[in-house]
Amino acid sequence: MTAKEFIKKVLFIEILKGLALTLKHLFSPAVTRQYPAERREPFPGSRGLHALVIDEYTGKAKCVGCGLCAAMCPSQCIYIYTSEDEDHKKIVNRYEIEVLRCVYCALCVEACPFGAVALTEHYEYSDYSRDVFYYTKERLLENWNKYMAGQKGKEYFEKFWRPKSEDFRNSKEPHAS
Amino acid sequence: MENLKDNLDNGLKDSLPIATKELTLNMGPQHPATHGVLRLVLELDGETIVKCTPYIGYLHRGIEKLSEHRNYFQIIPLTDRLDYIASMSNNIGYCVAVEKLFGIEVTERSQFIRTIAAEMSRILSHLLWLGTHALDIGAMTVFLYCFREREKLLDLFERLCGARLTVSYTRVGGVKNDVTAEWLEDLYAFTGEFPMRVEQYETLIDQNRIWLRRTKGIGVISAEDAINWGLSGPTLRGSGVPYDVRKFMPYAAYDKVKWEVPTGKNGDVYDRYRVRMEEFRQSNLIIRQCIEKIPSGPIMADAPKFILPPKDKVLNDMEHLIHHFVLITKGPQTAPEGEIYVATEAPKGELGFYIVSDGTGKPYRMRIRTPSFVHISALPKFSEGSLVADIVASIGSIDIVLGECDR
Repeated sequence: MTAKEFIKKVLFIEILKGLALTLKHLFSPAVTRQYPAERREPFPGSRGLHALVIDEYTGKAKCVGCGLCAAMCPSQCIYIYTSEDEDHKKIVNRYEIEVLRCVYCALCVEACPFGAVALTEHYEYSDYSRDVFYYTKERLLENWNKYMAGQKGKEYFEKFWRPKSEDFRNSKEPHAS
Repeated sequence: MENLKDNLDNGLKDSLPIATKELTLNMGPQHPATHGVLRLVLELDGETIVKCTPYIGYLHRGIEKLSEHRNYFQIIPLTDRLDYIASMSNNIGYCVAVEKLFGIEVTERSQFIRTIAAEMSRILSHLLWLGTHALDIGAMTVFLYCFREREKLLDLFERLCGARLTVSYTRVGGVKNDVTAEWLEDLYAFTGEFPMRVEQYETLIDQNRIWLRRTKGIGVISAEDAINWGLSGPTLRGSGVPYDVRKFMPYAAYDKVKWEVPTGKNGDVYDRYRVRMEEFRQSNLIIRQCIEKIPSGPIMADAPKFILPPKDKVLNDMEHLIHHFVLITKGPQTAPEGEIYVATEAPKGELGFYIVSDGTGKPYRMRIRTPSFVHISALPKFSEGSLVADIVASIGSIDIVLGECDR
C-alpha cells in the first residue's frame, strides 16, 4: 500500500466523493413525477386502449368484418360475428375485444386493410371487475369519438399505419407479386 | 462452577455426540435478489455453500411451442416477452434469423436504425442490471440514478414505436416505422450527456470499499471454465475472453462503426461489473456514430413475398389486397424449407434462434438459445464454496432474466 492509498483509505475519500455527489443532487430539481397529481401526456402513436374507427363521411364504423385483425392477433383476443342482410350485404353484428388478453402489439392496426381499427393513446382504464374490459362494438366506437376524433385520428393513420409505398426500396413499382 | 462445567461437558459428550449436518436452505422463487422467479436449493456447511441446485420453470409460457402455431409475423410480439428488459434486442435477433432464412436483404437505413435501437436496449438492460445488482449488494442510490436515465431512453422508445417495454418494433424485412430527424437529435443530445452519468455511477460505487469487498474475488470463473460452461456476453468477457457476436459475425451495421470489446481479467463479480460499465460507453459511441452516419432511404426491403404490401396499394389495388389477405391469414407461403441458426448479441449474451421451416407460413420448430438459461446452469459452478451472502452477488453479476430462461 502506497502512502497515497493509505491516506485515501484513512480519510474515506471515495465515500466522501459519493456523498458529495448525492448532496449535490439534493439541490437539483426533482426528476420524479407525482403521478396522480402530475400526469404525463403520452406521445403520439403510443399504444393504448383500442377504438373502432368511425368514417367521417358516413358516420358509421369503417369495419367491414373481414376478420384479418382477428387472424393476425397473436393473443387471439378479437372476436367478430358477421351475418348477411336482405340485400346480401355483409354486416358486422358483433366486434369484441377482450382487452385483458391484448398485448398491445398493434398488429391488428397493421393487418386491417381499411384502417378501421386503431390503438388510442388512452392508457388509464383500470377497474374493479373483469366484465368492464370486454369491449363491445358500441364501446369501441365510443372510444374513437372520445380519444381520436378529428385531426388526431387522421394523423394517426398517416403516421402509424405502415408500411407505405415510400418505405420500400423501389417505390416506383413495388410489390409486383 | 468448574465442576458444573465439567459435568455438563461430560454429560453432553455422553448423551449427544456432536455431529455436523448439512443444512438445506431454500432460496426463492419469491426472493427479491433472484431477479424474478428463480428457486435455488442450497446445501450449506455452516455458511459455506456445498451445493447449489437451481430450479427453473416458474415463468414458463411455452413461447417456443406457441411459435409453432403462429405465422412469422405473429411471433414478433412473442419475442418481446423473452428478455423483457431488452425486448428490442430479441425482436432484432428474431428478425435477423428469419431474414436469413428467407434470404431477405435489409436496407441500409434499416440496418442503422436497428443498430441504434439494439444499443439503446443494451444501455437500458445494463442500467436495470446496475441498479438492481447494486441494490442487492446494498447500494441504494445507484438504483434511482439509473432509473433516471432509463426513463429518458424509454420515452425515446415510446416516441419511436409507441411502447416503452414490449416494443414489437422490427418487422421481417425492416422496421415498423421510420425515425424522424427530431428523434435522432434528441437521442444525440442524450448520448452527449450519458458518459457523464456513467461517471456519476462510478463515483458512487467504483472505489467504494464496501462495493469492492462484496465484489472482488467473488464468483470467480476462469476463462477456460467460462467457455466450457457455454457462457457468453459480458459474463464471458469478464473472464477475459474477447468474444462478441457483433465482432465475430457482424449483423445490422456493426461492421460499419468503430468500437471495442471490453474485457476483464480475473473473471470475478467486479470484472463483470467493469465490463458492463465499459459497454455503456461503447454502446454510447456506437449510437453516436450511427446517428452521424445514418443514410437516407427506404426502411423496408424489397421482398414482396414475405413483407406486407404497402397500405396505399392495398386500398386501391385488387392484387395487393389479395396478397395482403394471404400473407396475414396463412403467413408467407413461399418460405424456403430448411433450418437455420442465427446468433445475435443480446445485452445478456448470445441470443440464438434456431428455426426449422417446412415451407409453410409457420415455423415447424423454433428453438431459442437464450443466454440466461445457459448462465443459470453455470450458477453451481459460480457458487461452489462461496458464502451464502455472496451468491446474491453472483446471481446479480450474471444478469439473468427468468422470462428468457423459462421462455
